Amino acid sequence: MSDYYADTDKFGDEATSPLVEAFHSAVKDLVRQRFAASGRDWASFVFDGAQTAITAEDFAAIDGRMLALGHRYTWSAQVSVAERPEAYKPAAGLHDSLASFSFEHPEAVLGAVDAQGWQTCGVGDNVVPFEVDLVGTARYVRSSAMVLEMLNQGVPPGTIAVIDDSGGTLTAPILEQFTGVLCAGGTVRSHLGILTREYGIACLMNAKLSGIRDGDTLRLETTARAKTAAAYQQGREMTARVWRLCQ
Amino acid sequence: MAPGRINYPQLLETNALIQQLSDESYWLCVTRTVQESKLFPVSPYMLLSYFMAFYRYPELVRKVDRHLPAEHIGDRMRNMGIKCANPAMGWGLPSFYLLGREYMINLGLLRPADALHDLIDVMDFWKRFQLGWHRNDGHLANSNYGHRAQILPERRLQVFHADMYECRQGDALHNAAQAFMAAASQYGFLISCESRISLCNSGPYRLSDTRELIVRDYMDLSESDFPWLDDVARDIAYNNLTVPIAVEGCHIYLMDDWGSFESEPEFKSHHVVGVGLYTSDSLSEGYLPVAMGSRDELTHAFTDLTANIKIATSKLWKRIAGWTRDQMIDAGAITYFAIAKDIAHVAGCYAVEDWMMVDERAERFRPLLNDEYSNAFLGELVGTMTNPSQRINEYSMMKHADTPTRMFSHIPYAVLDGGDYTRTVGAMRPGHSHLEAKQDRYTTSQGVLSLAEYNRRARTHTPAACSPRFRHLCETWLKYHYQSPVAHELYCIEQQHSRKLAGRGAGLTQADIEGLRDRL
Repeated sequence: MSDYYADTDKFGDEATSPLVEAFHSAVKDLVRQRFAASGRDWASFVFDGAQTAITAEDFAAIDGRMLALGHRYTWSAQVSVAERPEAYKPAAGLHDSLASFSFEHPEAVLGAVDAQGWQTCGVGDNVVPFEVDLVGTARYVRSSAMVLEMLNQGVPPGTIAVIDDSGGTLTAPILEQFTGVLCAGGTVRSHLGILTREYGIACLMNAKLSGIRDGDTLRLETTARAKTAAAYQQGREMTARVWRLCQ
Repeated sequence: MAPGRINYPQLLETNALIQQLSDESYWLCVTRTVQESKLFPVSPYMLLSYFMAFYRYPELVRKVDRHLPAEHIGDRMRNMGIKCANPAMGWGLPSFYLLGREYMINLGLLRPADALHDLIDVMDFWKRFQLGWHRNDGHLANSNYGHRAQILPERRLQVFHADMYECRQGDALHNAAQAFMAAASQYGFLISCESRISLCNSGPYRLSDTRELIVRDYMDLSESDFPWLDDVARDIAYNNLTVPIAVEGCHIYLMDDWGSFESEPEFKSHHVVGVGLYTSDSLSEGYLPVAMGSRDELTHAFTDLTANIKIATSKLWKRIAGWTRDQMIDAGAITYFAIAKDIAHVAGCYAVEDWMMVDERAERFRPLLNDEYSNAFLGELVGTMTNPSQRINEYSMMKHADTPTRMFSHIPYAVLDGGDYTRTVGAMRPGHSHLEAKQDRYTTSQGVLSLAEYNRRARTHTPAACSPRFRHLCETWLKYHYQSPVAHELYCIEQQHSRKLAGRGAGLTQADIEGLRDRL
């Protein structure tokens, strides 16, 4: 249909993400049909017609067709997968036992166990350098249920929170009680990095980790230099090491 | 804009403003923090807020403009630290609107030639506000000034400078101030659903060869506009707090239009060597000192505020942890959409239905907004700019990106010939929210007020410095007339609550101020 502006874009191409392209193509197909069926010109259709002719039910149908094809969405907020488990990929390490859970980053570097029993199990970006390395106990903090439990029962002394949320809200009421933070996401500028800096809590962000189990004794190389903005912009590695104590 | 045809100068200017925001938005989005959360569905609420902005901002800025013109609101803003500061008006209002427009174009629901009167009105309102607000530094935005925001007049900076208390890492005031800023920052992220728009830095200002001043605002802390702060924030006495911070040993080389800064060397707590504390809002006569009578009083105030903020943080977190996804999305989208809401408070025409509701036209898109789609689309919209509408001719090299892209589509000039464009999305439509209804309690500098009373007082209040007698007595005029009685009077208004400068007038130099300051 030549009257539909989206059909005559010289430089426009498909969106890079297949999911975005699928959704947007479906919406455009819908608009194209409803526009043709309206018998109006675009100027009268765009606000008078389209706002009532294209509805929430239409968008829900597009979502439904994607799920019917077998696609399951990757979740980013726990509430999304909790409310629609049928629509999202399963979430491990949130509601089931943490006994067998660990972050496993494909680029994590595992070292040999040294004479004292320490094994390198990853690296991260140091937020602020301290005078000594930090030793503490790994405790995964990945859900609001875990935070609520710690809020009610207190954060055990010496806790190094192992987190994959680089935001500043999930752990808000208990963050100050952590001895250290090991975050498998974000950068030193993320909200979590900003807050740990302000609270004076040792923190490694963007950590690439493997094999850390809840309750492990960890050592963080918090004496390493803080990763700089220039290092991020230049793509330069500037990492601090993480060790776990092998029994 | 007035009914009638669009003209060529209007389009030239509007497209230039669009391009400035396009360039700067890309730079901000790729160099600043990526906002992530496992608690809030951040990308879904951002996208919903863009639709809300697209449908409602034009009518809302026209409404505000009728009560108080944008440039007058910009003038008022030089006297207070409320949420019209950088992230809100410097970037949020125009960019959220443009992001909504671009989103609609890529859904096939809008042409670049649609809703042009709306687009021109939003850009024009933004421009006039910015020029008024940035009058002293003479720039449209921080980005035009090499990322710097020197908003305040000398008379206000002199009061901040003279009255702030020296502190050093490890002393009681430094510890109390640092603890307050950490707790208030964290609370701010929670209030704002993981965004940083409750916080804003401006400046830097030169205090000496070795010292600079940052002005940090913490906004919307108490019971006021957000329904989710009802009850939980009742014990926080101030809705807005401003902390002037003297830093030594580091240079603030960048202050962006999101109100965040970069320094060399990296800013750390030991660089803080002086602090003060103030509150302000649309009813105050500029900045009002908070506990600035003595060092001990200020130390205790920071400590007490920190304690209350921590209690409010726990209460608010528990409330939010019990929310549904729709409630979280509503709160986040409303936080973003209402980033510019304080323009309505200044104008005295704030309405809950205007700013705290999801417009029904935006609401219909919610079923699309699953986490994966929202993350992927947002990344393409503000990062890679790979949506069809954002790709332009192959010879182009976008500022900062060097790619043939443009974040926000220009208005096609051909609309001047054929008239094939539409004017507006139309009048306001109803909205709703999954959140609890807002209680009629608004914490202001004049106490807790009903909204009707808050609006009434705002409509009748003009800060003295913005009154017709003083409004145009700018820094350039004062440079040559500082010995005049009217200049003395203007400075004395600013100094009326100052511990060190009350009644001193317009003749003081920076060396005089330094000589009057308390020493450690």
